[in-house]
Amino acid sequence: MLNRTLTPELKEIDQISFVSPAIHVIHGNARLYHMAEVPNNTSRLDLYFDAGTARGARAIAGFVNGMLLSGSESLSAIEIQSQIDALGGFYESGISQETAVISIYALKEHLLDIFRIIAYALEELSFTDKELKEMINDRRQKFKVNMEKVSFLAQREFQQRLFHNSIYGRVSDESDFEHVDREKLITFFNEHYLHGLYKVVVVGAVPVTEIEEIIATTSKWSKSSKNSYEKDLKNERGDAYVEKAGALQTAIRLGRILFNKAHEDYLDFLVLNTILGDYFGSRLMSNIREDKGYTYGIGSMVAELHETGYFLIATEVGKDVKDAALEEIKKELVRLKEELVPGEELELVKNYMLGQLLKSADGPYSMTDLFLSVEPHGLDLDFYNKAIESLHAIKPARIQELAQRYLNWEDFTIVAAG
Amino acid sequence: MITFDRFTLRNGLTVLFHKDITTPMAVVNTLYDVGARDESEDKTGFAHLFEHLMFGGSVNIPDFDAPLQMAGGESNAFTSNDITNYYDVLPAKNIETALWLESDRMLSLAFTPKSLEVQRNVVIEEFKQRYLNQPYGDVWLELRPLAYHQHPYKWATIGKEIKHIEDATMEDVRGFFSKHYVPANAILCIAGNFELEEIKTLVEKWYGDIPGGIKPARILPSEPVQQEFREKTIDRKVPANAFYYAFKMPERRNEGYYLADVLSDALGRDKSSRLYVSLKKEQQLVSDINAYITGSLDDGLLLISGKLNDGVSFEQLDRALWNELDKLKAHPIPASELQRLMIKIKTAREFQEQGLLNRAMNLCLFELLGDAEGINEEHEVYDAIQPEHLHETAIHLFKRENCTLLKVNATNDAE
Repeated sequence: MLNRTLTPELKEIDQISFVSPAIHVIHGNARLYHMAEVPNNTSRLDLYFDAGTARGARAIAGFVNGMLLSGSESLSAIEIQSQIDALGGFYESGISQETAVISIYALKEHLLDIFRIIAYALEELSFTDKELKEMINDRRQKFKVNMEKVSFLAQREFQQRLFHNSIYGRVSDESDFEHVDREKLITFFNEHYLHGLYKVVVVGAVPVTEIEEIIATTSKWSKSSKNSYEKDLKNERGDAYVEKAGALQTAIRLGRILFNKAHEDYLDFLVLNTILGDYFGSRLMSNIREDKGYTYGIGSMVAELHETGYFLIATEVGKDVKDAALEEIKKELVRLKEELVPGEELELVKNYMLGQLLKSADGPYSMTDLFLSVEPHGLDLDFYNKAIESLHAIKPARIQELAQRYLNWEDFTIVAAG
Repeated sequence: MITFDRFTLRNGLTVLFHKDITTPMAVVNTLYDVGARDESEDKTGFAHLFEHLMFGGSVNIPDFDAPLQMAGGESNAFTSNDITNYYDVLPAKNIETALWLESDRMLSLAFTPKSLEVQRNVVIEEFKQRYLNQPYGDVWLELRPLAYHQHPYKWATIGKEIKHIEDATMEDVRGFFSKHYVPANAILCIAGNFELEEIKTLVEKWYGDIPGGIKPARILPSEPVQQEFREKTIDRKVPANAFYYAFKMPERRNEGYYLADVLSDALGRDKSSRLYVSLKKEQQLVSDINAYITGSLDDGLLLISGKLNDGVSFEQLDRALWNELDKLKAHPIPASELQRLMIKIKTAREFQEQGLLNRAMNLCLFELLGDAEGINEEHEVYDAIQPEHLHETAIHLFKRENCTLLKVNATNDAE
């Protein structure tokens, strides 16, 4: 008779093989990373520009990012899109404080042709009045919709307080959509795109000749100097509340400036973060969702910037339980500072993290993303071998020490919107 | 080509095995043939609430997630109007842990009152977070009962109202489990770098002694053919007027399903689609417009939705929209346009099939539709589509009496 109460024997994950992409010099500091070991016909191309929202005057970077394929008087946005779609390409552009990225997904036989279309579109781009007006109109409407969401309101307030006195704390507001100066967009585009490229990533079994052409084209746009980023940031401590009439839930964001992969405490802090709030069985989820039922979800994370990073806890809770939820979050932080993590819980989290690392190294796309997550910090994939070692070695006392150092309520920025 | 083996246990459980030698991970995907369409009208939202309870411990194992996390894995699930699907992703060498956990919750749940009480609250918060406390979040709660009068697609998976979830009792929960969560009503797919014999032995070991049960008969009221244009306007405190045109379209197994899918792509999949180009870029009537299908197993909906620019009336939009639909009814689309749509579909499929989890889920879904081999045949259905087929479908689909329209009227004072 099968004994269903006994756990099947577990096998440890001892090693993971990490594969780096090939590195090509584009020009100066600009590099192209090519992951060619893709066992199917798919491919991806990413172009990184020093054109994040912290660059330029208010809101300009975001507007430019939204208009990259808007064409010119002689080459319409519709034509550009039709050409890309006719090759089955998917185009995305994204922006953060520190960078702007264009991504193309396509079958590998079409990747170069789509790249050529996009390269031509960028070089032709002229910010026509019609397209500019349309973009401003769309963005204004999206912004108004977002302002109806408690999650957006909380995040917006949190960002301003987290990056207190820094350009990273700049957020959009209604006035950004009035009097947009076309000349400023053109200047920004020239400086930050046509002379601002610093990284290209290709995933896909595309021939070397195609890589060479991509290098030749992007070298014209590459940036001569190294990018500079904000460091020594300080969050504004204390509570803030954003009122939203009629809201059924309150969004909570709390956290602090912390560090990134370059810091010696990073890897061990990740273990602490996972225990607290970064998996389904985490303490925050177990307490606030699975025991109290206050929320559909709660989580914590470490977000990284080039020179620093921050720690964040985020949730949406019933309006009537906001204070109770904050109290429980506080309790969980105190518990980590005052009590050692039980051996079995730590064992579980270690195994879970190893399994997740194995998963994030599965396949060429994931492997490339792992590489891209260490590369900005001057590290290579050996970082993950070190991560495995430090996961095996970490002890409860170390977790407690980190909690005592980094998880103090009085160091936090705490925002609620609802 | 996605290869697989199929075998059936004596208790009726259908098992698919998909071998992939390139990955160190494994997927255990379990599809239960039950969704919100199987609920009774006075107890809606139940299939989804039940999905939450499946993580609240089973008869021999007090906690579902912890042992899986201990094995380096994670799990999640989703409920639709048609199915409930559970998946575990974990290192292949620990596959047995997932089979142990999944088989035990198929055998029986713990049914603790605490789990029911907490998950009721969690689902109520989910209801608020996703449907009630979002601009435009409740449109599906409004649109479904307008488009469907008989078929249970008239309510959303989250349920008609919060009260149905509040009222769920332990007796309801037990009844739902014993009716729907039986091996004969499930399809299991295991994917990863294993040998078939190994999988057969493991599956027999963990699932072989679960009592089979009877696959419940599904007798649903069919939706009568829509005979009249339906329209409703709701006032909401949102920044822009929004529109949702819903056209009835064929069920999943029908060839017409694929034709409607391609038509929706032609109208509004991407930035070179007809509605985007005409209504947004050329006429500047909308800030945003999309066309898509619900992907339902029974007769579904083709949706056209978007937001109006300030100063544009619903009537202006309506005329411009029907003008584009009439063009599709008047002439077959050019071959070059069809080709453009097809390469997009092909590209998206290749990306989707990269993921082990996607493959395992889709194998289960196609098996539910009749044969998992369908996963490899679907592209032939698309390849066979000609402009004249789309033309016929457009004539049939885009009729005023086949259309339901929900308008969200932006106001400053409504709640």
